[in-house]
Amino acid sequence: MTARAAPAPLPPATTVGLLGWLRQNLFSSRGNGAVTVVLAVVLVWFVFNLGSWVFVEADWTVIISRAPLYIVGLYPYEGYWRLCICLLLISVLLGMAWRAWPNAARRFAFGFGAVMLFVGVFPHEMAPDHRALLLLNLPLIGLGYLLTPRPADASPGRLEAMAGSALSPALERVAIFSTPRRKVIAVFVALVLTMILILGIAGVPGLDPVNPQDLGGLMINLLLAFFGIVCSLPIGIGLALGRRSSLPILKVACVIFIEVIRGVPLITLLFMSRHILPLTFPEDLNIDRVYLAGITITIFSSAYMAENVRGGMAAVHPGQAEAARALGLRDWQNTLLITLPQGLRNIIPAIVGQFISLFKDTSLVYFIGMLDLVEMGRVSVQGNQEFIDNGREVYLFIALVFWVFCFSMSFISRRIEGALGVGRR
Amino acid sequence: MTRLLYVQGVPIWRNVVALRWAVQVVSAVVVLSTIALFLLNVAREIEARDIPFGFTFVNRAAQIPIGEAVIPYQPSDSYWYGLVVAGLNTVRASVLGVILATAIGILVGVARLSPNWLLSRIALAYIEVFRNIPLIVQLLFWLTIVLTLPRVVEGYVIADAIFINNSGLYLPWFEAQAGFWPWALITAIGVALAVYAFRRLSRREIETGQPSYPLLAASVIAVGLSLVALLILGPLAIDIPQIEGRFGRLQGGAQLSGSFMALLVGLVIYTSAFIAEIVRAGIQSVGKGQTEAARSVGLSGMLTLRHVTFPQALRVIIPPLISQFLNLTKNSSLAAAIGYPDLVSVANTMTQIAPAISLFMIVMVSYLSMSLLYSLLGNLYNRMIRFKGA
Repeated sequence: MTARAAPAPLPPATTVGLLGWLRQNLFSSRGNGAVTVVLAVVLVWFVFNLGSWVFVEADWTVIISRAPLYIVGLYPYEGYWRLCICLLLISVLLGMAWRAWPNAARRFAFGFGAVMLFVGVFPHEMAPDHRALLLLNLPLIGLGYLLTPRPADASPGRLEAMAGSALSPALERVAIFSTPRRKVIAVFVALVLTMILILGIAGVPGLDPVNPQDLGGLMINLLLAFFGIVCSLPIGIGLALGRRSSLPILKVACVIFIEVIRGVPLITLLFMSRHILPLTFPEDLNIDRVYLAGITITIFSSAYMAENVRGGMAAVHPGQAEAARALGLRDWQNTLLITLPQGLRNIIPAIVGQFISLFKDTSLVYFIGMLDLVEMGRVSVQGNQEFIDNGREVYLFIALVFWVFCFSMSFISRRIEGALGVGRR
Repeated sequence: MTRLLYVQGVPIWRNVVALRWAVQVVSAVVVLSTIALFLLNVAREIEARDIPFGFTFVNRAAQIPIGEAVIPYQPSDSYWYGLVVAGLNTVRASVLGVILATAIGILVGVARLSPNWLLSRIALAYIEVFRNIPLIVQLLFWLTIVLTLPRVVEGYVIADAIFINNSGLYLPWFEAQAGFWPWALITAIGVALAVYAFRRLSRREIETGQPSYPLLAASVIAVGLSLVALLILGPLAIDIPQIEGRFGRLQGGAQLSGSFMALLVGLVIYTSAFIAEIVRAGIQSVGKGQTEAARSVGLSGMLTLRHVTFPQALRVIIPPLISQFLNLTKNSSLAAAIGYPDLVSVANTMTQIAPAISLFMIVMVSYLSMSLLYSLLGNLYNRMIRFKGA
């Protein structure tokens, strides 16, 4: 009589390889599997429909035929080369950033270069010299990269490895942006040059002043957001210090200012500034609405910035202030030298987040009659019989532009956070 | 005080108390005079440039049409009443938006943490796509979609009662009959009884350990009483929208205009992306040990979420959630761009005749009181959840 062997137990489910990954993440149980199948079907259907609409049905002439309007608004054609040079300056800065924070800025530099390459070779109407200027961005990113020395903690890049040791002394001599001060000066010079190039100077041949009203498109969104953030930082710090101070009237005034601005929609502030701000200037000084928008956005942003700064300062460990007092520092020295600098480092991610939301909010300046990217799109759809049915194309394009900017900024901020060691020191 | 100011041997410019007072006074003078200077300047210019200002206009007839209104409105009504109607439109969009955005935000936030890779990635895509596009672009896009729907006569009809077309969404709605108020009273009594029963039974369950089904009992009391009264009194009739006339005009039922639909969809999707991130962060803030302990005492995934993770996560979730509600309310002012008559939109129309600065002062004060209401809510909640004892 032979004992019947017990049936061999099934081998455990594999947890490695593609099959194991699928089993763990998509089909871990019956319900999970059903969810996966349903979602996959819906996803395929969605992607297929979107793809067929984008590549077959949609009519993109409304974008391609008036691309410059979306990007720079009514900026005079004769001045386009100046904007191209601004882009070149940005390229150099991007190259520097790539070298200084390789993890954070590399993809951004690549993306920027890719966009320039795409626009530069895309078959549409464009003057050859503008094309050449756009393509010049690619070498200039490399130039910015070479002008910056390798950070001490980074390993040699592929470029240096290729160049070999023979070239490295030469590379070191080229890297002129070696100290933080030089880098700051470079950024500052680039900014001033950009402003001069965009607005022009009266009397200088080739740099004819541009009517600020003609600034528009994506350019004005970016400019307003950038200057809004930069100008609101000092005001916000001042408001935050005022709110923390022990002077009752000053404190109350700051609190009221911050809470009122934060409690109302930006659109009402824009409206009020259109009617009230001109009253505070002399009657004959006809201030342009670009500046009105800039001032309003700065005021709006500074209230939010003040709360960020206050939060950052509150997060500084009280031991820091106590140690400062024990060393004999006065209250104001304590605030300015100990608490504030540490607080500011805490809020770098918050500032980037605020920049993103401010950039999105600049799309409201249509309310005081400016032709930003969104308003340009709206006008070209609603004010144009030819494109009246192309709303979807236009708004999807605008959404894509904003999305690319906002998403890449939040991506970079996460990387910079890592590079600066926020939360680890 | 005088004793403090004149300390022997310490000159007054070295005296800490005196210095502090001096700084207080100087700062107060500087701040107040800056504000006064600004206000006086503006007031003088308003006078000099003959800019209309004042609040006497609010009782005059507004003479402007408002496309949709929660309460009856005619152009012959006063400015004041017109602003109230517009404010109610803002409130309507905000309340509906807050409810829907919270529901969808929680769903997406939980989906983001799902063990199913595909589901979590789709939730991530939803969040990253919709929160990185300005709301106004989304609103204009949805408006375009609504406007490309077919006309009323060719529109979609579901079960002969729900109409979807380029003029909006039309739903069957209730119409109050004679017995409405008695019925409402009985329902209110039922709810009160149900709350009492719920408390009583849950206490019993906690004290004795006997299953007492508090939720079941409470819902039976409330719903049952209300239903019985409904059958006897017949307080509500159902009003089904119908197409009238050759050009297709829909009458009756609840009407949600196209621009309202676009506004609501845009607000809800945009805000829910932010809420989803808040919910995700809140759930992740609950220690992993809590989940593991719940699983080890035998709670299933859903029960763990409901009884262990969520109640603890709420502490972290609620404060930023309330600030999102405030954002949604403020963002509803973008209705002005897509033709929904909210507060800003109507006030903007009124400025054609009425003094603009006064009008927008009223608008700003309205928004400020709404945001005060929200922060009151937040403070109440904070007081409620403060750890007791210890």
